[in-house]
Amino acid sequence: MNNSDYALEIKNLSISFGGLKAVNDLSFYIKKKEIFGLIGPNGAGKTTVFNCITQFYIPDTGEVLFSTNKGTVENLVGQKVHNIIRKGLVRTFQNVEYVGDLSLIDNVKIGATDQFTSNFFGSLFCSKKSRREEARAEEDAIKYMKYMGIESFKDMMADSVPFGVLKKMELARALMSNPTLLILDEPAAGLNDQETEELAHTIHQIRDDFGCTILLVEHDMPLVMGICDRICAINFGQFLACGTPEVIQKDRSVQEAYLGVSEEEDHE
Amino acid sequence: MNAKAIIKDRRFQYIIFGLILALVPVIQKAGMMKTSTVLILGSVLIYSIGTIGLDVLLGDSGLISLGTAGFMGLAAYVSAYCTTVKGLPFEVGAILAVGITVVIGALVGLISLRIQGIYLAIATLIIAEILLKTFKELVWFTNSYSGQKVAYPKLLGIFQLDRNSMYLFVVVVLIFLMIITENMKNSRSGRALNAIRRSEVAAQAMGVNLLKTRMIAFMYATTFAAIAGVLYGGLVNFVYPSTWILSLSLYFMAAVVIGGNRSIPGNILGSFVVFGLPDLVLKKLPVVSEMSGFTMIFTGVLIILIVLKYPNGLIHLPVQVISCLKKGSSRKGGEGIHE
Amino acid sequence: MSVFVQLLTRSLETGSIYALMALGIIIIFRTSYLVHFAQGTMGMFCTYMVTVFLKTMSFIPSVFCGVLSAVVLGMLVDVLIIRRANGVSHTGKQIITFGLVMIFLGIAPTIFGVDPITMPQFINSGDLNILGATISYNGLFNIAFVLVVMLVLFYILQKTKFGLAIRATSANEATARIFGIKTKNVTMFSWALGGVLGCLVGVMIAPSSAVTTFVLDSVFNAACIACIFGGFQTFVGPVIGAYLLGVLKNLTVYYVSSVWGEQIVYVLILLFIVVRPNGLIGKKLVKKV
Repeated sequence: MNNSDYALEIKNLSISFGGLKAVNDLSFYIKKKEIFGLIGPNGAGKTTVFNCITQFYIPDTGEVLFSTNKGTVENLVGQKVHNIIRKGLVRTFQNVEYVGDLSLIDNVKIGATDQFTSNFFGSLFCSKKSRREEARAEEDAIKYMKYMGIESFKDMMADSVPFGVLKKMELARALMSNPTLLILDEPAAGLNDQETEELAHTIHQIRDDFGCTILLVEHDMPLVMGICDRICAINFGQFLACGTPEVIQKDRSVQEAYLGVSEEEDHE
Repeated sequence: MNAKAIIKDRRFQYIIFGLILALVPVIQKAGMMKTSTVLILGSVLIYSIGTIGLDVLLGDSGLISLGTAGFMGLAAYVSAYCTTVKGLPFEVGAILAVGITVVIGALVGLISLRIQGIYLAIATLIIAEILLKTFKELVWFTNSYSGQKVAYPKLLGIFQLDRNSMYLFVVVVLIFLMIITENMKNSRSGRALNAIRRSEVAAQAMGVNLLKTRMIAFMYATTFAAIAGVLYGGLVNFVYPSTWILSLSLYFMAAVVIGGNRSIPGNILGSFVVFGLPDLVLKKLPVVSEMSGFTMIFTGVLIILIVLKYPNGLIHLPVQVISCLKKGSSRKGGEGIHE
Repeated sequence: MSVFVQLLTRSLETGSIYALMALGIIIIFRTSYLVHFAQGTMGMFCTYMVTVFLKTMSFIPSVFCGVLSAVVLGMLVDVLIIRRANGVSHTGKQIITFGLVMIFLGIAPTIFGVDPITMPQFINSGDLNILGATISYNGLFNIAFVLVVMLVLFYILQKTKFGLAIRATSANEATARIFGIKTKNVTMFSWALGGVLGCLVGVMIAPSSAVTTFVLDSVFNAACIACIFGGFQTFVGPVIGAYLLGVLKNLTVYYVSSVWGEQIVYVLILLFIVVRPNGLIGKKLVKKV
């Protein structure tokens, strides 16, 4: 197998909180330009895996090998959270994070924080360089907002636009940093059926148009099964199965994990 | 750029505001204003500088500093010491004053900003107390309770300022600082500050370096306090230790909150309400002027009311009133149709 | 030897006073999630109240009335202001406490006048000799009194049902509410308690100077530093921090610098938290993302 085909490779990842193993010896890999799903019942540790990749949590053991936008492969473990985005890895949040009293376009521009090279004094005195970079950020922001179809909202305060628009804003903001790997944390949460369908289409398009790899954590099974090339299922921090949607659907252990949980829910 | 865009540009509006402020000495010369009023207005403008700086910290990044008064005092004393005792030119004193204050501020920030936000408040509270004690104890530096005398500055060694021209100098500095702050707030640094205030976690994921950005905000506030301190010495001509107590820092905080945070015009309005109103209006009222703590009570009550009921501050009041009136009238119109 | 014992007893007395103040700060911090910067100012106000009662009553009833006024004041602040600040941002709530500082700083001279007022000691005279060191009976009483107050408080916290409610609220307010704990009562109690502790500290410290508007400023600063030193995450930490601070301060004032001793200790503690950000016995909390 050739590792350079991988966008991200997780090796023997483990993390525990106060004796409780939240993720236990998990390994999987994502190929470049793949749409990859990470699934598991509630409390399976999906978000923890996420946070280990983006270094909000520092895993106890294991490696997170990421193929950066500079063509090298780097282990992300122990790197500073705010430096991860620079390497081409960007994430979105389950319950959209936005600054309510900034305009939508300013919110999108926050995604380009790392693209700026001019220093602080440059922005104080509007130096040529900072003006050029600001103009580029503006241009990019409009471009991506157009791409997401929310350009008409650009001057509205983020507080006053509908949730669906904010979700799209978040994707536009993620694109601002020219990611090679886009991690989406439950992108369909809070969307209705039609919006979810639209989202599936958008995710495909982003992959095709920008050539980025997409890692998706999602509850909405039809969405995951519909758009993912491959899926990894986990439960209680343990690896269950990995493969195409068909393989996952037929896998005994995955069925048990989900049905078991749904039975418990029935009891409640 | 067309004329309309220029008029809409905040920076252009600030310059107009500066030109209006510059009329004050003319009015005074014409005998329509007391000289003491010029002095009060000048010091309000100086306090506005500190307020604008503090707003970057308090409003944009949601951090509390209680060091504004201490840092302002330190800069005032350093500049006074350099010019009065050592006979150095005003510019050298000013640069040293701002430099020393900023270095001390940087140390405080580096220590406390690594941890939770509230540590900055406590660390600055302690540093402000230490500075205040320094002002009282280091007689060679501050002349203690007798106060350090400061002359009107001589700019570039040529232009000797007097009260009115010093006032104009303050206006020029204020407008300049307003413009660069406006630039900063609209740049990536301003957006990064806002992102942190909303969510530290999300900001980090978007590539915002928490410590660095917070340091920038705190250094910004400290620098502005230092500049205000230098100008204060130059305008008021005397620096006393008792000026730089905690209450002054609280007044700065009040000015940010009351005027309206994250708004430069709001900061100016807040400074006028907090620092100007008591001296210009309240002290002339009959009963109030005899109550020694009235200014404090007035400001304290106003802070709490604004935080609870009107978090955007007074600067948004006209906008809200207008929109209310519009709503009211359109509703009336609607009823008319029903009838 | 006698000097050292003298320093130690004096440290115990300062430490007790700091500890009482720090306990007030930490209880409000743990139940309302904010540093009550008006703790010292409200204590100052209640100490003034005690001087007013002293005009017509003897010492103990006056202190009792002062404490009662502190309870009322603390509850009023919670009910009238803090409780209404539900939707307000964290910084906003913190700013409210500064508003309170200003209000009480303004009201005190308006009502009580600007002249310093003397405050008698609980035990007027008499010194005890231990190993060549002298300590006043009043000092001993203060040390013992603070110990009793703290033992009672920690007993309430650890052993009673109400203490459990406080600890539950401080661990997670939303969860506590779901389990039927009246968190409103808990916060109201903590604000009242904060006021009472402030008042008691004021009564203890005032005889050595006089009652002024800034009588509790330095104690409040010391208590804040003690909280940082001991760590904001536990109830015990700040208390231990306060006693240690008392020792450190008296040693530095005696052996290093009588003018700058206190300030040197503060700077050292600020440097200490660079190495141990969570204080002496603080635990690191994993932030949930």
